[in-house]
Amino acid sequence: MNYLLMICAGEEREPSPARMGIEQWVQEADRGGTRLLGRALEDPQTAVTVRVRDGETLTSDGPFAECKEFIAGFDIVDCADLDEAIELAANHPVAGFGIVEVRPLADGFELPAAAREWARSEPDDSWALLMCVDGIPAGDEEEAAIRAAARTWGERLTERGTLVTGHGLAHADTATSVRVSAGETVLSDGPFAETEEFIAGFAILQGINRDEAVRLAAEFPVAAYHRVEVRKFSDG
Amino acid sequence: MRAAADTAFREEWGRVVAALIRRTGDWDLAEECASEAFAQALDTWQRDGIPASPGAWLTTVANHRALDRLRRAKRGGQLLESIGRDPLGPLHDQEEDGSMRELLEEPDEIEDDRLRLIFTCCHPALALEARVALTLRTLAGLTTGEIAHAFLVSEPTMARRLSRAKAKIAGAGIPYRVPPAHLLPERTAGVLAVLWLLFNEGYAASGGEELIRAQLCEEAIRLARALVTLMPDEPEASGLLALMLLQHSRRRARVDANGDLVTLEHQDRARWDRAEITEGLAVLAAALRRRAAGPYQLQAAIAACHAETTDPDLTDWAQIAALYGLLVGAMDTPVVRLNRAVAVAMAGDLDAGLAIVEELDRAGELDGYHLLHATRADLLRRGGDPAGARRAYERALELAPSEPERRFLTGRIEELADG
Repeated sequence: MNYLLMICAGEEREPSPARMGIEQWVQEADRGGTRLLGRALEDPQTAVTVRVRDGETLTSDGPFAECKEFIAGFDIVDCADLDEAIELAANHPVAGFGIVEVRPLADGFELPAAAREWARSEPDDSWALLMCVDGIPAGDEEEAAIRAAARTWGERLTERGTLVTGHGLAHADTATSVRVSAGETVLSDGPFAETEEFIAGFAILQGINRDEAVRLAAEFPVAAYHRVEVRKFSDG
Repeated sequence: MRAAADTAFREEWGRVVAALIRRTGDWDLAEECASEAFAQALDTWQRDGIPASPGAWLTTVANHRALDRLRRAKRGGQLLESIGRDPLGPLHDQEEDGSMRELLEEPDEIEDDRLRLIFTCCHPALALEARVALTLRTLAGLTTGEIAHAFLVSEPTMARRLSRAKAKIAGAGIPYRVPPAHLLPERTAGVLAVLWLLFNEGYAASGGEELIRAQLCEEAIRLARALVTLMPDEPEASGLLALMLLQHSRRRARVDANGDLVTLEHQDRARWDRAEITEGLAVLAAALRRRAAGPYQLQAAIAACHAETTDPDLTDWAQIAALYGLLVGAMDTPVVRLNRAVAVAMAGDLDAGLAIVEELDRAGELDGYHLLHATRADLLRRGGDPAGARRAYERALELAPSEPERRFLTGRIEELADG
C-alpha cells in the first residue's frame, strides 16, 4: 500500500541533531525501497493560500490550519500495511518532537518516471499544491464533476512537463498521527490538525515561478470549492 | 432452549465472525452471515433440538451463507467486468475456486482467527472508544444498541463509531494478524488495557443500567478467559483474568441496600463469591510460577491477600505494602503511590504512610483528587490528630464527585466532632 507521510513540526524549532537524523532516515528508507519520493518544504510563512470565488482568484499569505503544527515536508512510501508505515513514521526524527501523519493514498497510485527523476535531481522552482477541503461534496454529481476537472487539469500539466505527480488521499478518517514520547510510540486516530479542514490530495509542480504556481492552483477545481495551499519545496 | 442458544451465541459468536473475516476480508459480511446463522439456529434448534456441536453447526451455516453471497457477488462481478468496471474490489482478486474451497474447509485455524480478531479490534491506530466498541460488537456479539446503551450514547452515534472503525481497518491497511514478535509485548499490553477498561466500565457503580453493566463485566471476563487460552505463555493475561475474577467476587458485597459503596473493610465477606475466588487464586498461582510479575499479576496478588482473609483485622498489610512497593516499580502512577501509602500505614508505619501522602500533595499531581485528602484525613485520624483530620476531610468533601461519597465523608466529620 502507498502512504503519504506528512512530516509536521511544531512551533518550537527542530533540535539541531534532527537534521542529520533525517538524512539517515531517508538513506535507510531508500535502501529498503520503501520510500518512493519525498522532500522538505520551505517555511510555512512563504505559503500562499488560493481560493476562487465568483470567478475571481483570491490569495492570502500563510498556511491553512489554525494550529501550531505545520507541514515541513512529506514522503510517499510503499509499505506492506499500516504497522510498517507506523514504524517508518516513528523512526523519523521529527516524530520525537512533532507529528508524522500517516495517510493512505487513494487507490491506483503509480509513480511516474518523471517523478523518479524529480526525486533524484531535486530541481529548484518546485511547488507542492495541497488540496484542502472541509468535507465531501454534497452530491455524487458534484463530486464526479470535480474529479473529471481534476483529471483534465492533470493531463494538461503532465503533457507540458509541469506536473511531476499528484494523487488523492484516502479519507481523513483513515489517518493515523504518530508521535514518539520517552521512547514510546504514541498513536492517535485522525489527522495531525484537529480542524474541520483536511488535505484531500496533493500535486507536485516543477519549472515554474510563484505566480504561475498560484495561477495553476486557481485552475484546480478544489480552489473554487474550498482552497489550495501553494508551498515551495526547499531548494536542493 | 433459549438459554442454550444464548450460551452458544456468547461462546461461538467471536469464533464464527473471526474465521469469516479471515476468509472473506469483509467485516460486515462476516457479521451479517453470523447473525443469519444464529437466527437460523434459533428456528432449527427449536424444532430439531440442539446439535451435538453447536459451534460446528453455526460455523457451517455461516460459511454457507457467505458462500451464497460470494456466488451472487461473483455473478454480479462478471456482469460488471464485461462493461469494464469492478467495484467489488479485492474479493475478486482471489481466484474463485480457491476462495470457495477454502470456505468449505473444516475450521482448523479458528482459534488463531479469534486471536487475530482481538489484536485487530484493539489496534492502537483506532481510537480507544472505537477499540472497546469493536471488541464488544465483533468478539462478544453485543448489538450496536446494547453497546450504545452501555456507553450512554445514541444508537446512531455508536453505529457511526463502529462503521468508521471498520472503514479505517480496511482503508488504512490495518493488518488482520497477531503482531510479529517485536510488536507483540506492546500490543498485548494494549489488548489487556482494552479488556481491563471494559471490565471497569461494567464495575463502576455509577451510571448506566445495572443489567448492561453486569453484562460488560461478564463479557470482559469471558474475553480474558479466551485470551488466556489463546496466549498460555503470557502471564499478564492470566494476571488480568485473576484480577477480574477476584474483583468480581466482591460484587454482591460492595454496594449496600441504599446503593452506597461499602469499603473493603466493612464488606460482609460471607457474600463474596467463593467459586470465583478459588478460580482467581488458581489462575494467579499458575501465572506467578512463570516469575514475570507485571502490573496485572501484582494487582491480582494484592486482591488475593484480601480474598484469602476472612477477618479484615487479620489482613496481612505487610505483604500488601510489599506488593505495592513492587507495583510502584512496575507501574509508577500517583494513584498507585497513594494506595501504597495506605498499605504502609496499615502495616503499622503511620508516619511513613503519611510522608508518602504529603510528598504526593506537594508534587501536586493528585490535586483535586478527593481520595488524596480522604486518605490523609484517615491517617491523621488514626495518628491522633483530629483537628488535622477534620480539615483534610473537609477538603475531600469539597472535591468528592458523588453523593454516596459525600455522605460517607460527612459521616466521618460528624464522628470526629462527636469524639
